[in-house]
Amino acid sequence: MSTTRTILICSGKGGVGKTTTTANLGIALARQGAKTVVLDADFGLRNLDLLLGLENRIVYTAQEVLAETCRLEQALVKHKQEPNLALLPAGNPRMLEWLKPKDMQAIVALLERQFDYVLIDCPAGIEDGFKNAAAAAREAVVITTPEVAAVRDADRVIGLLNTQGVQPVQLVLNRVRPKMMSNQEMLSVDDVTDILALPLLGLVFEDEQVIVSTNRGEPLTLSDSSSPAAQAYGNIAQRLQGEDVPLMDPSQARRGLRAKMRKLMQTRIF
Amino acid sequence: MTLRLPDQRLDHWRDRLPDLLSRCSQPIVDLDCGDWTLNCNDLADLCAAVTEAGHQLGRITGRVPETVVSASALGLDASRSNTPSNRELQPNPVTTPASHLLFHNGTLRSGDHLQSERTILLYGDVNPGARISSTADVLVWGRLRGVAHAGCEGSTTAKIVALQLRPLQLRIAEAVARGPEDLPQAGLAEQATLKDGVIAIEPADIQSFQKR
Repeated sequence: MSTTRTILICSGKGGVGKTTTTANLGIALARQGAKTVVLDADFGLRNLDLLLGLENRIVYTAQEVLAETCRLEQALVKHKQEPNLALLPAGNPRMLEWLKPKDMQAIVALLERQFDYVLIDCPAGIEDGFKNAAAAAREAVVITTPEVAAVRDADRVIGLLNTQGVQPVQLVLNRVRPKMMSNQEMLSVDDVTDILALPLLGLVFEDEQVIVSTNRGEPLTLSDSSSPAAQAYGNIAQRLQGEDVPLMDPSQARRGLRAKMRKLMQTRIF
Repeated sequence: MTLRLPDQRLDHWRDRLPDLLSRCSQPIVDLDCGDWTLNCNDLADLCAAVTEAGHQLGRITGRVPETVVSASALGLDASRSNTPSNRELQPNPVTTPASHLLFHNGTLRSGDHLQSERTILLYGDVNPGARISSTADVLVWGRLRGVAHAGCEGSTTAKIVALQLRPLQLRIAEAVARGPEDLPQAGLAEQATLKDGVIAIEPADIQSFQKR
């Protein structure tokens, strides 16, 4: 049996950061030396290629590979700056129905032969798209934000993953706003883990740089950015690899930010 | 560990089998056939697949008599299971013989619905968005944060007990109440009963259980 780790990145609710996380984690893992492929299972509304800046390089999809009209190597899109990372769109946006769970398993089986990590970017919802993506996954990372609706949907997804036997399932809490959390305007980290009862793989703070980087098609983890989100994704990748990296503390983060501001004031102005 | 064949409504077991087997880590695998009607040929195929995957087949359980008879005919250790089938939820309900109690081990997550004609004892939480309903009592050894319905066929003496009773909604027989909004007192099990047609919450009363 291969030692490849096939990880489903899912959330239930849309817009919480599945694709962003997949892109950043993919780059971070690749930079840490792991041969990684990101599989876009959300191919109806695919934009993982966009986030990675590879939109114009896609020629084939997994669909053609399975139909044997092209080789896997032709369909895999290598990342420009990070040769350890490849992208594979699972299908053509105009042919949604063709993909079945067993096709997904076949694709992943092919990928597992040559990669250390297969990250599957799951579509939102819990319908066929989710079932297809989940069929091939061995483990899962559930993304949620500290919002009631996102946590509720994540809970549902975790229940479904449990019945499918996906193990282990870990949690990433995305778009955390330390200020709102300390003012109790947002669910706290404990509130979320209390309900979901999953090991926390990472916390990612809300960061405007994420939006800038996704628009540009260059994930934050690609450069040695000091932005909090870039560090958080780097940490998550390290934890996935089994390293023991302490979690960021939202209350400390605020203080850190303020201290940095103060430093900035002192250096530049005075 | 137990290998559960998939829900008939969702997948055919032959499609899911390789995948299920690949998730098995222990040498001896028990098989839960659920609602499937399997003949000797099916079972022989199953056995072969399990052996081929390097496991040893332990006990076989199923809800359909034909399956159990076929398995016995093949000389396998087979028995009827009487777990309720009408649920999308798979985790481990166990019943003791001649009991009025359904024991469920595990948390109900959002979207899950556990339903029984017996009193339900749940070891775990009922998360927001999950439902638990029984024609008799609902007992939760954990936090009740979803929707609970006791006496759902009209029994007004039914009650709901939880270590932490902070449901979205409570129902007993026909009565409906929204859950309390204040935070619970720590370390105090609470119960909800029907008093003059209105649902009332109070500290759990141990005496009322000892009668049974």
